[in-house]
Amino acid sequence: MSKHHHSQEKWFEQPTYYDEIRFKGYSRRDFMKFASMMAAFIGLETSAIGQVAKAMETKPRLPVIWLHFQECTCCSESFIRSSHPIVADILLDKISLDYSETLMAASGTQAEAALKNTLEKYKGQYILCIEGSVPVGADGVYCMIGGKTSMQILEEVSEHAAAVIAWGSCASNGCVQSAKPNPTKATPIHKLVKGKPVIKVPGCPPIGEVMAGVIVHYLTFGTIPELDRLGRPKAFYSKRVHDTCYRRPFYDAGLFVESFDDENAKKGYCLYKVGCKGPTTYNACGVMKWNEGTSYPIQSGHPCIGCSEENYWDNGRLYERASSFAGFGIESDADTLGKYALGATGVALAGHAILTNLNKRKDINTLTAEGEAGDVDVIE
Amino acid sequence: MGKRIVVDPITRIEGHLRIEADIENGKIKDAYSSGTMVRLIEEILKGRDPRDAWAYVGRVCGVCTSTHSLTSVRTVEDALDITIPANAELVRNIMHCTLYMHDHVVHFYHLHAMDWVDVVNALKADPKKTSELAQSLSHWPKSSPGYFSDIQARIGKFVASGQLGIFSNGYWGHPAYKLPPEVNLIGLAHYLEALEWQKEIVKIHAIFGGKNPHPNYLVGGMACSIGLDDVSGINAERLAMVDRLLTEGKQFIEQVYIPDLMAIASFYKDWGAIGGGLGNYLVYGDLPTKGIRDTASFKFPSGAILGKDISKVYDVDLKKDDEVQEFIKHSWYEYSGGDDKGLHPWKGESKINYTGPKPPFEHLDVKTNIHTLKHQGGMAMPWK
Amino acid sequence: MAEKLLRVHRLRRIYVWELPVRIYHWINVLVLLVLIVTGFYIGNPLALMSGKEASEVYTMGWFRFLHFAAAYIFFFNFVFRIYWGFAGNKYANWKQFIPTTKTFWKELKTVLKMDILLMKGNKEEREHLTIGHNALAGLTYFGTFLAFLLQCLTGFGLYASMASWWFPKLFAWVPFVLGGDILTRQIHHWTMWFFILFAVIHVYLVFYHDYVEGRGEISSMGGGWKFIEEDYFEKNKPHTPNPEK
Ligand code: HEM
Ligand code: HEM
Ligand code: SF4
Ligand code: SF4
Repeated sequence: MSKHHHSQEKWFEQPTYYDEIRFKGYSRRDFMKFASMMAAFIGLETSAIGQVAKAMETKPRLPVIWLHFQECTCCSESFIRSSHPIVADILLDKISLDYSETLMAASGTQAEAALKNTLEKYKGQYILCIEGSVPVGADGVYCMIGGKTSMQILEEVSEHAAAVIAWGSCASNGCVQSAKPNPTKATPIHKLVKGKPVIKVPGCPPIGEVMAGVIVHYLTFGTIPELDRLGRPKAFYSKRVHDTCYRRPFYDAGLFVESFDDENAKKGYCLYKVGCKGPTTYNACGVMKWNEGTSYPIQSGHPCIGCSEENYWDNGRLYERASSFAGFGIESDADTLGKYALGATGVALAGHAILTNLNKRKDINTLTAEGEAGDVDVIE
Repeated sequence: MGKRIVVDPITRIEGHLRIEADIENGKIKDAYSSGTMVRLIEEILKGRDPRDAWAYVGRVCGVCTSTHSLTSVRTVEDALDITIPANAELVRNIMHCTLYMHDHVVHFYHLHAMDWVDVVNALKADPKKTSELAQSLSHWPKSSPGYFSDIQARIGKFVASGQLGIFSNGYWGHPAYKLPPEVNLIGLAHYLEALEWQKEIVKIHAIFGGKNPHPNYLVGGMACSIGLDDVSGINAERLAMVDRLLTEGKQFIEQVYIPDLMAIASFYKDWGAIGGGLGNYLVYGDLPTKGIRDTASFKFPSGAILGKDISKVYDVDLKKDDEVQEFIKHSWYEYSGGDDKGLHPWKGESKINYTGPKPPFEHLDVKTNIHTLKHQGGMAMPWK
Repeated sequence: MAEKLLRVHRLRRIYVWELPVRIYHWINVLVLLVLIVTGFYIGNPLALMSGKEASEVYTMGWFRFLHFAAAYIFFFNFVFRIYWGFAGNKYANWKQFIPTTKTFWKELKTVLKMDILLMKGNKEEREHLTIGHNALAGLTYFGTFLAFLLQCLTGFGLYASMASWWFPKLFAWVPFVLGGDILTRQIHHWTMWFFILFAVIHVYLVFYHDYVEGRGEISSMGGGWKFIEEDYFEKNKPHTPNPEK
């Protein structure tokens, strides 16, 4: 362990992927095949394969610190579901996951020492991955690790990170714990870490291969992937589930599942009317699918719940199309309220019409009389 | 007074846990545990559409993903007196068994194994002997000397790189590790294999629930349609895939997990005498075949065992006020009717009241009161 | 007969709504109707339980096409009206919509008392007269224009992610500012109800004015003319809320 003290230079003296891959007994041909698969995965031109291969030949393993705050560990679980690259290869050959409460062997002081070691040795070089939101209520006591609050830990660990990855909806937008009334004041990472790129990888959880893909991108190009305005990698979050959904032709045709046990459900019609949030959700589910392309929620008959969208818990109910209003009870939505408003308007206008005939009787009579008089005049 | 040691974070679990233990003469005299993260999902759920509750509740845990959701839909169905279709019950049971298989393997290898398997020591193993040993334990095909020497070489290279990653600062070489190098190597090889295996078995969740972690459930049944004549339904192809996944999953469990478990346990026999809690165990039961209300139809029966006496199993009625209660006396909560009381979960309250030390702190104040933030309904829940 | 004749007014014909305003108005009415009907369908499509194949029907596709086609017309019509607020006559001028003077506020109060609350009012209030929009109508239309703007922003904001033309893409920032498509869509849906309520009240009030004033309010959006009593006209020095100096 003490081989590399301080050292940016030393870090680069370490074996490259290519070395490791050769060491594992693969040939240069195998290696190029792997590189082109990676390139295809990230969506690169063939001309970039060389670059991918080169990156893997020259870069040692990237130090990664993975912190857990208010979360359910579904992101870590999803990460280990990645099929390409598989997680054993990521952990052994691509990155050096120096701190991860889910996977690391050490506990307690030993775990904290491992963290400290990486913070010092790879200052400015490590990637900080965060799973979970930070509760800022009650001075942060709703999430404490090693006697420190998550706020304190985040500040310490993010200071010298090369980049910050906010895994999942918790870290990107607060997810379920930030839903109303947000009792612990759960706060997403980008609101707390300033002056550093924060890559948001939302979803509850994000697709495993998406998570691996973000890391592979960084490893390969040494830069963070291109992000959209919300800070999400464009590669995986620039299309709506709805625009890549195989049930889309049924949507366009106007053929919908009306209830989960009707004939239309069996026929695989569009789930729009049973609340599908695909039309407002940016995620890669329709293209990459889940668990090595096995299926995705819509394929298995359940509407998209919009798990990668900000505030998806408070923006309407899961099985309703109509937009609900908070504060009016769960039965009220925009259209019900609209209908009531319309009814009330009708009543008000009818009242107004009656009052007009009463209050303005004189004016109206005058107008009528004048009209009649005018008529007489013309005839005469 | 002995020495107080603190272990926080406890790693390889879901959530945030802290243990403080008083050591006297090399033995633990007293220990205190504290859950140190809370989200109050109970409060967030209030006023929501009951059909949506499973999604909120499911997010309690992503490791034992799907159990909380399953429990939630059952609760709503019980409250509204909904009987689900027979197929939905089967699908839910298959999904639950999938989790059961997945969770046991992942807990054993990825969450527990490093407490028994010395990764660095595995480098000293003789691959040939390891292979012989492995083959004597089971018929698992990946047990050749070449296989083990490849793994050994890979880990050797990894360790030599100086970047130990998830193995950094482990307790490698500690005398409490009792396995011979060959068993360590088997454990390590299967740790990596299980890492690949676990992503396969959960594809069953993807087939029925659309994804894993956090597959989708539905109050009233399941959303996946059983459509033998439609490409979007559960048809012969999907069923064949489920069949393959279950068969392969079972193979791994029978030929790798259980033999490893037995082999490793045989070196740690004396650990069986440690812990075990109060010796009282409560099982809610599961895998209903005639609906959740008919507990007699459960494939996993429910019941309570007291004082490690497995000859006698007591009936439990979860709906009885006095059989299951939540106590918060030692939690950072308060009850409106006094903190000494126990409340049935139906009458539960979740009013938080942090009285612990102000962070950053060294030790909990265990003298006057030892507290914990409730996590996953983890308030103390005595039976009867 | 003679006394009766005395009460017959000589009417002055005034050209209030120029042709572009009238065309704008009716395009707007038509297109809004289409947008509301198609919007309702998009929001909550009808149950079609027929055994049709997806390749045979394109219902949602047509409704969406109509919605987007109408949306473009709506948008450019709206932009034209803004332009006409600077180029048109004084009744069409932008100053009719935004309260900047004391007279505007005073008239607002008068209209509220006389026409909405149907109070008695003093003599001056009883005899008040506006030829173009009254102050309250002007202000309401201003609110409506803001709602038009909101609807265009959210509408094109949603459309941006499925559009290939650069123009809707200009609005791609909208959902980002609002924190995602879900809320953007909900706002778009809620705003629709504003238009529905506005239309009902508006049409009622147009009839109301025609009925109690007898100046050809309804037909004014047809031919552009209103008919004002000559003696009132002389006496009250009728003004637009924001008279041109
Ligand atoms: C001003 C009058 C308009 C009204 C009353 C209106 C109404 C609606 C309604 C009710 C919906 C359904 C929303 C839902 O519940 O999901 C909708 C959808 C939509 N509207 Fe409008 N809209 C108007 C103008 C526009 C404009 C100017 C655009 C600009 C392109 C537009 C673009 C859209 C889009 C893109 C959708 C979503 C359609 C889809 O994703 O399939 N709308 N509109
Ligand atoms: C039978 C139907 C309608 C008639 C007879 C009618 C008539 C009129 C008249 C006379 C005016 C000018 C009077 C005033 O300033 O108060 C006007 C203005 C206006 N109306 Fe209507 N209207 C009708 C329907 C609608 C509908 C359905 C809408 C839209 C929802 C609408 C939107 C407007 C707007 C925005 C103005 C302001 C025009 C401007 O100066 O730009 N109208 N309408
Ligand atoms: S199922 Fe959902 S995502 Fe797919 S087409 Fe229908 S609405 Fe869109
Ligand atoms: S389909 Fe929707 S809810 Fe489901 S995982 Fe994808 S984004 Fe999340």
